[in-house]
Amino acid sequence: MTALTSHLKLLEAESIHIFREAAAQFRSPVLLYSIGKDSTVLLHLARKAFWPAKPPFPLLHIDTTWKFRDMIAFRDKTARELGLDLIVHTNHDGLARNINPFDHPPSVYTDVMKTVALRQALDAGGFDAAFGGARRDEEASRAKERVFSFRAAGHRWEPRRQRPEMWQLLNGRLGKGETVRVFPLSNWTEADVWRYIALEKLEVVSLYFAAERPAVTRNGQLIVVDDERMGFEPGEKPVMRKVRFRTLGCWPLTAAIESDATDIDAVVEETLAARVSERAGRLIDHDTAGAMEMKKREGYF
Amino acid sequence: MHVATQLKEAVETRPVAAAAAHRGALLSLLTCGSVDDGKSTLIGRLLWDGAGVTEDQAAAVLHASHNRAVNGEKIDFSLLLDGLQAEREQGITIDIAWRYFETPQRRFIIIDSPGHEQYTRNMATGASHADLAILLVDARHGAKRQTRRHAAICDLVGIKKVVLAVNKMDAVDWSEARYREIERDFRVMAGGFKFAQVTIIPVAALTGDNVVKRSARMPWYAGPTLLEHLESVDPEVVQDDAPFRMPVQLVLRASGDFRGYAGTVTSGRVRIGERIVDARSGLGATLKRISTMDGNLTSAGKGDAVTLVLDTDLDISRGAVLSEVQRRPTNADVIEARLVWLSETPFDPEAGYLLRTATDLTPVTSMSVSALVDFETLASTPAHGCNVNDIADCRILLGRAAAIDLFSELPLTGNFVLVSAIDGATVAGGVITWAQAGAPQVGDNVLVLNRELLARGLCADLGDSPADSAEFNRRAQEVAVLLRSVGVPVLIEL
Repeated sequence: MTALTSHLKLLEAESIHIFREAAAQFRSPVLLYSIGKDSTVLLHLARKAFWPAKPPFPLLHIDTTWKFRDMIAFRDKTARELGLDLIVHTNHDGLARNINPFDHPPSVYTDVMKTVALRQALDAGGFDAAFGGARRDEEASRAKERVFSFRAAGHRWEPRRQRPEMWQLLNGRLGKGETVRVFPLSNWTEADVWRYIALEKLEVVSLYFAAERPAVTRNGQLIVVDDERMGFEPGEKPVMRKVRFRTLGCWPLTAAIESDATDIDAVVEETLAARVSERAGRLIDHDTAGAMEMKKREGYF
Repeated sequence: MHVATQLKEAVETRPVAAAAAHRGALLSLLTCGSVDDGKSTLIGRLLWDGAGVTEDQAAAVLHASHNRAVNGEKIDFSLLLDGLQAEREQGITIDIAWRYFETPQRRFIIIDSPGHEQYTRNMATGASHADLAILLVDARHGAKRQTRRHAAICDLVGIKKVVLAVNKMDAVDWSEARYREIERDFRVMAGGFKFAQVTIIPVAALTGDNVVKRSARMPWYAGPTLLEHLESVDPEVVQDDAPFRMPVQLVLRASGDFRGYAGTVTSGRVRIGERIVDARSGLGATLKRISTMDGNLTSAGKGDAVTLVLDTDLDISRGAVLSEVQRRPTNADVIEARLVWLSETPFDPEAGYLLRTATDLTPVTSMSVSALVDFETLASTPAHGCNVNDIADCRILLGRAAAIDLFSELPLTGNFVLVSAIDGATVAGGVITWAQAGAPQVGDNVLVLNRELLARGLCADLGDSPADSAEFNRRAQEVAVLLRSVGVPVLIEL
């Protein structure tokens, strides 16, 4: 085993420790399952942490109704095959108001269909802890995130009110009205996630692998047309391009990259060689300066 | 490096691996020093030259550098580190930031924490996660009081390896004499702590000399560059034959009457067939199976997250510490500790606190502060109170006994955080320096109830079945309760 794959064993053990600490200390946890590669690893680690028992919490997916069709199929298959409870929540109020990624700015759309939807689902389920696949290497404000990230009433994240975390000790005692987001993948990098997927032979959504897909180019970003709701600009026509995704979200807001990586080894190699960070493909993060930090303060994951 | 081949190899040869064997693959390092010492620039340089920066991040830094013009037209590497908006605006690092990078040799976690005295708590918090600390000094000023404070904090939380990076060598004309002077002073200073390894490296973060690239301007220095050292240093001080400990996180039950104790081994190694005890009850059992989703293991060592299945049900729960039979944790109800106060709310002897050790949460009956320690002079002053960023020595009486080790011997069962019983806040973090057993220990004129003693008469009718073993344990407990009620100290060692 090489040095760079063997460190995954350490990260795995740390994540399992975190899962168990949270399951032991919180009354009603839930795992935020967003179908992507990070969620795939997160779920796999959850299974390891409690094996031979099943993870003692359901999965929650916030469905904006704009996810790639392949993602939804993968989600349902995964929950069915593993015999896990899956809660799917959509902000029906936002849907009724036809909040969508074509007619509204990304910040408004994300707030209504993702942030508000998540708060609704957590409140409805009475969950006091939510596991998420966020990693500290993703974005600058995430680099200071705790493993147990406390949220005040209303799910607000106050950077100055976060608890210090020392050694391996995770204090999960909740104050009044507090809930917590738990990040078992805090110390993983994008490359770690892919290496681990390869090492553990985990199945991921096919969108991560290069294939010919119909795409349009907007502001230098490649948008793959996943269904008939695409709002084309005048004269705009999709062209078949060999592309894949580094990150998966709502299809109108997730840019693809041109790639020939059709299998896991090629994806790992491409990831390790990448000179652009993965969130460059997330259109919402570039909306305003410090975009992610503002979203988090409002209760975004 | 051909990744695909590397991975294929790894997949094919992969054993049901124990984490302990791989600790060398990951190094967590803390960087201490103030903005003035060029700390952010040093880490930025490590990331930049060590290829940990992506093109869009680099572009953002180049853009912002131009805006701020901090170093004239030069690149401001510190922009790679500062995260939160408020901090960015103030131009100062307040919280702890985590950065990740890798070289073909090793995966690194960089923990960046602020250096000023008003952020002692942040630094202690960050340091508690590190294998190694880089202490940064300005070559013009040498090791200062602040350097000693940083070293003392690192020592307090258990860091065993330190690197003194003597920065801004360009500002002293790459002078060997100046470097030797700083080296000599620091060796004396570091000798006062429990560090296992002290390494000193002359660097210039701004120009990159001896950070990643070997400096041509300091031919008198023959040691490793900073990155070379970080790539080769052993993250751990290996302790041979450390006693086995596994704090129980939770009890897992599954179909087929599976019952296992889930936890991470914090010290030593345990093998199938060995006797282990629950330190609090003194009850023992034989290890039957080490269960993981990747298959059963024959042994588990430090760092492994496993589930232990025993031959008899010890009826223990979260908070118990499974241990080897001979060298057990102290079943303590009085401890002395050194702590760093983390909360903005000062210590209040009337407030309710809980002691969070490995996986246990124990009510504090009473707590008193005996002294405050000045980490710049290392002088201790008698005191009764403590406030945020203070380092204090204290004595804590627990509402019930907890399985505890001394931090200097077994750090992961000898550390704790103090939790407010009111709002759950983490108010302090500390290390246990002394522990007194509530229940008696062997040697203190104690009756030891062992298997032989009981099997002779009281339990002569019992065999080896799980039901009989449980009954054996039950009788032992009952006898102990009766004897203790009339003042006979009893220890159960089954």
